[in-house]
Amino acid sequence: MPHFARPINGQAIFAVLLLVLTTVYASQIPKLGLPFQNGVEPGASFLPVVLSAIMYLCAGRMLIAEFRREAIEAAPHMPSDHIPRIGLTGPLLVVVFTMGFAAGLERVGYFVAAGGYTFAVALYFNCEESGRILHALLLSAVTAVALTLFGWLFFEWLFELSLPRWSIGT
Amino acid sequence: MMGEIAGGFGTLFTLWPFLYLVGGFLLGLLFGAIPGLTATLAIALLLPFTFGMEVTNALVMVMGIYMSGIYAGSITGITLNIPGAPSGAITSIDGHALMKQGHGAQALSLDAFASSVGGMMGALVLMLLAEPIANLALLLQTPDKFSLVLLAVVTVTVVSRGTIWKATIAMTLGLMISTVGIDPMVPKGRFDFGSYHLVEGIGLLPAVIGLFAICELLVQAATPARAAHGEAVADMPKLRHRDFVPDFNIIREIGAWLYVKSSVIGVLIGMLPGGGAAMASFIAYAEAKRTAKHPETFGDGSHEGLAASESANNAMCGGAIIPLLTLGIPGDAVTAVIFGVFLIHGLVPGPGLLTNSADVIAPMFAALFVASIFVMVSLMAFGRINRGVLYAFIAMISMAGVYASSFSGFQMWMALAIGVFAFVLRRFDYPVVPMLMGVILGSYLEEFLRRSLIVSKGDPLIFLTRPASLIFLIAMLGFVWLLRLRPGVRKPGSG
Repeated sequence: MPHFARPINGQAIFAVLLLVLTTVYASQIPKLGLPFQNGVEPGASFLPVVLSAIMYLCAGRMLIAEFRREAIEAAPHMPSDHIPRIGLTGPLLVVVFTMGFAAGLERVGYFVAAGGYTFAVALYFNCEESGRILHALLLSAVTAVALTLFGWLFFEWLFELSLPRWSIGT
Repeated sequence: MMGEIAGGFGTLFTLWPFLYLVGGFLLGLLFGAIPGLTATLAIALLLPFTFGMEVTNALVMVMGIYMSGIYAGSITGITLNIPGAPSGAITSIDGHALMKQGHGAQALSLDAFASSVGGMMGALVLMLLAEPIANLALLLQTPDKFSLVLLAVVTVTVVSRGTIWKATIAMTLGLMISTVGIDPMVPKGRFDFGSYHLVEGIGLLPAVIGLFAICELLVQAATPARAAHGEAVADMPKLRHRDFVPDFNIIREIGAWLYVKSSVIGVLIGMLPGGGAAMASFIAYAEAKRTAKHPETFGDGSHEGLAASESANNAMCGGAIIPLLTLGIPGDAVTAVIFGVFLIHGLVPGPGLLTNSADVIAPMFAALFVASIFVMVSLMAFGRINRGVLYAFIAMISMAGVYASSFSGFQMWMALAIGVFAFVLRRFDYPVVPMLMGVILGSYLEEFLRRSLIVSKGDPLIFLTRPASLIFLIAMLGFVWLLRLRPGVRKPGSG
């Protein structure tokens, strides 16, 4: 007997998110015209229609399975990519650092953006690993200087790929 | 072709290509041996830099990373019981058992010997088979190509980690991403949501960096240092160079046939879309155990088990390159990223590649062969690497690399968005490799489908009336049956 009293969990919420994303994607399909409009060529909308249908089917299946407490088994002998134990602070901090780098690179230039980014990322991992703030600060500062210089030499000198320089006020 | 390959060896032993090979080999060794990092990530990080490289040097370096990255996955597997890559997981079963029995150095030397033999055999098969398969592939017409791409899409999905539903969702997400941008048949934007950035589509580089580098960075940030390092680090023994000479009595005892058989299995699995090194080593190990005189020793330090799994996973490298070069079909994540290296340099993998650019490709063949010899002389023990330095390096190189290769801040944001999404996918046990394959193969799938139906005037039977297409479709159904539907494979209650 299906059991619907289970509290909604992350898997179910993610399945709903996938359904929402699919709906956003599918909302653009009418702009592409109907499939097989000319009777011969499937047209620009054919594959998106098929993909949307597959997504609704699979995400809907996942959602129903979650509500019914079904155990959907993985294929035998296939190890999983699943991240078993996580903290959210670390990933959130890294996302914020990365957003800062992406936003700052063209504004403040490579040296400041990369220096700050590598320092912040190194500081997080060093603090998390050793728990000694002063040691982590020192190590991260050295890491940031070394990696920023290394990156500059690597991109600009070795591979001739240019990076933005300091541009405040110019 | 053999003339070009000889020329390729000549080119490889000039200064810069050789240095790139050594550099790539060391990079692959480092990334392969560190748990959580893979050869795929190393090549993904290298991708932006290949813009500034000679195409030959880029391909040579990539081959060095590929070969050593697959091999090195077993180093920490043997010494610490933490495989650096999934390909080393099977090797670590017997390798670490030998380590605990005090034969760690011998296990590492047998591991390197088997990797070397497998790698060389894979490279030889690649050299021998690439041209004939490419010649056959030239005969394929558009409907055949559609069925071939469909075979790859379906096979990669059914062999993926996790449930079939989740793998299908991941593949479909990748295919959806591939539809963003200009329509492959008519110059008209799709799914751009009014953004001129999206009219260009979502590039391979931000997809690769997001799926592998940014996602891995977030996974590591979510993983406590103690869990990432494992518990056996303190037990790392000090090893001397002379300990690493393989004992040829043991090699004789293992027998040449086991190396050959396992290498052939590795090559064949490599040629199968979605195969990969982990599956190659698993099947070769199972086959070696099935035919062993003492199968009861498998799992407790069997030399045969170690040799079989390690020969197969390095032989897989040569096999996986064959469909990429000859048919334009990447079979796994590494070859998918290598596909990107070709595209960046204006080379389109497929039947015409060997005909038109044999001189460019030949050093890559030579590099794969020479890199497999390097394995034997590269034995080294890895200590702990500071996570702060490592992940700050990965973060900066990947994000700055995306910018430097596109001069677009938008592409950086796209890489970050894909990385965060991939992290959430992995958190909920969705595989990410099918997603990358979908991004790469989506445009081909759609273009071949639509061209075929134009040729047949809308008649879908064209896919069943062409012999090659029919064979690919039957093979696809066969794989689905064998890998998911066959009794004994599917568990009760499975999706």
